[in-house]
Amino acid sequence: MAAPTDAYNQLQAVHHPPTSFIAKYIWSGDHKVIAKQFLWGGLIFLLLGGLQAMFIRWQWAYPGQPVPVLGQVFFSDSGGVITPGHYTSLFTSHGLIMIFWAITPMMIGAFGNLTIPLMIGARDMAFPLLNTLSFWTWVLSGLMVLGSFMVPYGTAAAGWTTYPPLSGNAGTPGWGQSLFVLAIFTTGTATIMGGVNYVTTVIRLRAPGMTWDRLPLTVWGQFLTAILNVLFVPVLAGGGILLLLDRWFGTSFYVAGALAGEGAGDPILFQHLFWIFGHPEVYILILPAWGFVGDFVSFFSRKPAYWYKGSVWAMTAVSIMSAVVYGHHMYTTGMAPLLGKSFMMLTLIISVPAELLFLNWLHTMYHGSMRKTVPMMFALGTIFVFGSGGLTGLPLATISTDLYLHATMFVVGHFHLTMASAAFLATFGAIYFWFPKMFGCLMNDRLARWHFWFSFIGLNGVFIGQLISGYAGQPRRLYDPFQYAFTEHLLGINQVTSYFAFFLAFGQIFFVINWFTSVFKKNPECEQNPWQVGTLEWSVANPTPVYNFLQIPIVTCGPHEYSNPECIEKLGKDWQGQWETLDGSDPELPEPVSTGHHHHDDHGAEPHASEE
Amino acid sequence: MDLLKRLQHRWYQLVAALVLYGMPLDVFAAVEKETGYDMPRDVSLDGHRITWLINITMWFLVVLFVIMVIWMAIAMFKHDESHPAEYDHGDAGKQIAVALSISGVIFLVVDGNLYVNAMIDLDEVFWNFGEYDDNPETIKIEVNAHQWAWDGRYAGPDGKWNTQDDAITLNDIRVPVNRPVLVQLTSSDVIHAFNLPNMRVKTDAVPGTVSPLVFQAKETGEFDIACAEHCGAFHYKMKGKLTVLSQEDYDLWLNEVSHQSSLAYNPDDTDAHWGWPWKEL
Repeated sequence: MAAPTDAYNQLQAVHHPPTSFIAKYIWSGDHKVIAKQFLWGGLIFLLLGGLQAMFIRWQWAYPGQPVPVLGQVFFSDSGGVITPGHYTSLFTSHGLIMIFWAITPMMIGAFGNLTIPLMIGARDMAFPLLNTLSFWTWVLSGLMVLGSFMVPYGTAAAGWTTYPPLSGNAGTPGWGQSLFVLAIFTTGTATIMGGVNYVTTVIRLRAPGMTWDRLPLTVWGQFLTAILNVLFVPVLAGGGILLLLDRWFGTSFYVAGALAGEGAGDPILFQHLFWIFGHPEVYILILPAWGFVGDFVSFFSRKPAYWYKGSVWAMTAVSIMSAVVYGHHMYTTGMAPLLGKSFMMLTLIISVPAELLFLNWLHTMYHGSMRKTVPMMFALGTIFVFGSGGLTGLPLATISTDLYLHATMFVVGHFHLTMASAAFLATFGAIYFWFPKMFGCLMNDRLARWHFWFSFIGLNGVFIGQLISGYAGQPRRLYDPFQYAFTEHLLGINQVTSYFAFFLAFGQIFFVINWFTSVFKKNPECEQNPWQVGTLEWSVANPTPVYNFLQIPIVTCGPHEYSNPECIEKLGKDWQGQWETLDGSDPELPEPVSTGHHHHDDHGAEPHASEE
Repeated sequence: MDLLKRLQHRWYQLVAALVLYGMPLDVFAAVEKETGYDMPRDVSLDGHRITWLINITMWFLVVLFVIMVIWMAIAMFKHDESHPAEYDHGDAGKQIAVALSISGVIFLVVDGNLYVNAMIDLDEVFWNFGEYDDNPETIKIEVNAHQWAWDGRYAGPDGKWNTQDDAITLNDIRVPVNRPVLVQLTSSDVIHAFNLPNMRVKTDAVPGTVSPLVFQAKETGEFDIACAEHCGAFHYKMKGKLTVLSQEDYDLWLNEVSHQSSLAYNPDDTDAHWGWPWKEL
């Protein structure tokens, strides 16, 4: 029998479920398995990066005192005390691990992979093998990171920004720093592979009717992030290679001053290369969160996303502008005044699309019918922390105020509220929301709510504490921050901030218990569409079969059709699936159909109905 | 051996330090402590511009944040499951106009205030290096940062840089009160940043580059110089002292240091001649 979407069905093979253990769990091309692999990997590194954060917070609350219990394990060579050398390694690798090995794999590797094909109605990613390679390349980079802790002189210690000449051989000798730079290059390669895949998949494999203005905001976020990754990670990779050449082959791209031999380079060149990547990177780490939040706020307010196109345009504008604001990281380097002032103007302008996004979220939930589910609580928490984090960016975007605030704890608080706290809360919201798609059941609601409140209060306590001490002038990255007359009195606020950090860490136990019991013991199976939402992933079973959609769906409406009176009257429910029509008829293929006809069918297998 | 060599190269600093300890000036009293969570005490002529701009922006941000939280709270507690949801896509012309207007007004008021004031403050003071350079009243200092200390250099009576009569200091920058100060910074190893929180300014010290920084102290006293760029394991120990003196005390001090430095001058010690011809700005 011919289905109306046969032309589409033939383009994407229906894969047989893999039978061997390796094909199923290790070397899998299935985007859902790769999503789970990235999630596990990211959670492990999140634990490592989180542990490092606790050590840093211990040092700031009790400088030079032995770390209880864990100190004997990790700092046994110094009797459990964190030394200045340990400390520089700790904050350096904490930043890099959290960005490249925790947030990126979880938010983009896991949820980009999971959501893109399912939400656009595709059977897999455009390039499944590239997807597999992307994950294993990332694993390789992660092994380099772990290896860097075991070599003489220890791991990277030049700060996450890796500024030369400090990150050169003279500043940070040994294999640890080199391995870490190489690991960044390697994970960058994995990111580019993923990015190419995501961009291609969204452009080529959208189901019929899934027009650009019906794309869930989650997919928009992942799509824009993937574009930024493909454009800007190569710049970082190039900058990293030059640094490795300096370290290994005695070139002097970044070396100047007394360290330089003949022919001096310029350390500031690295900062340009780093930040032209680095500023898009902070949007790379927040655009997916904006996507989740935009969708969740609509889903659980039971109301269409307010001015959807405005949100899409705002996210697109931020993505484009992210490339031309990076100079605000370099106001104090002695940059040309005209250049600095231009970057200030552009950076201030980027706040406009961000404000529009906020207004759209607030308008969406206003006059809604809010269901305070766990993912919604995490979305609201994300808005809260991103609100304070985004607003505190304004005095950092402005040159004169940045002359005082630059390199203080205020900066640390600001960017941890945005790219750490907001990314953290949004990603965990996504875990709770899409858990059924991965494991066939919901996570425990009560434990999830404990996890939320501990995380939310903890994150705010820690990073608002940092804003306060930074406002008072405390410089960042100090082993003992209380050396100065203007910081000596800040020990108290640092201790309180550290208590919030320990509270935050303690709260993660609720997640760990919930995670293991839900993944392995399996909660009772949930219904197919537990949240009663209309995006395509909920039109198929949980967990989802390997081919996702036996028939490629025809998309009939946008992703946020809630509380439509006509829908309530005709379908008897307040949501319309993107695969449903209001009159109950079969969806019709939109015209014109350009896909399929000029392709030969040599790569399109027949759907195997027997698998259902 | 290396250490010995290094010490030899730094011997002039030891001399300078010894000289200073013998000075009859009351400059080793404790630096004044801070309390509370305000910014450190502002002792500069123009720091109030930055303090004011940060503080007024903070008030704007608090207001915006509170509005956001109230808006969220109404949605959470009033427009909850008992409240019927409106079927509204928010894309009518009027709704778009309202959203754009709100963003526009916030931009004009908050960002606009930041932008206009920052431009004025930069042009009049903080990035107005040319005028400071041309002003005959300006005290000019060269600072060379290295792991983990600040070398200071004053031109001395001949007004020329890198000559025998230069006054040379270690972790000890002194300036007269009520005089504009222009510091030129560089580094001989990694990047550091010369941070004067009590003056509200900082500038990076970058190897191979000379970067300027200006301020003018309005009170005498002692203040911290902190390093604001991660520069290795002992970054946190890279602490210098900024002393603001009366004009008379400053003249006395500069004369003495210049005299002592020229006595200790060794024409063969090229490492000690790190000064550079003053960079026109």
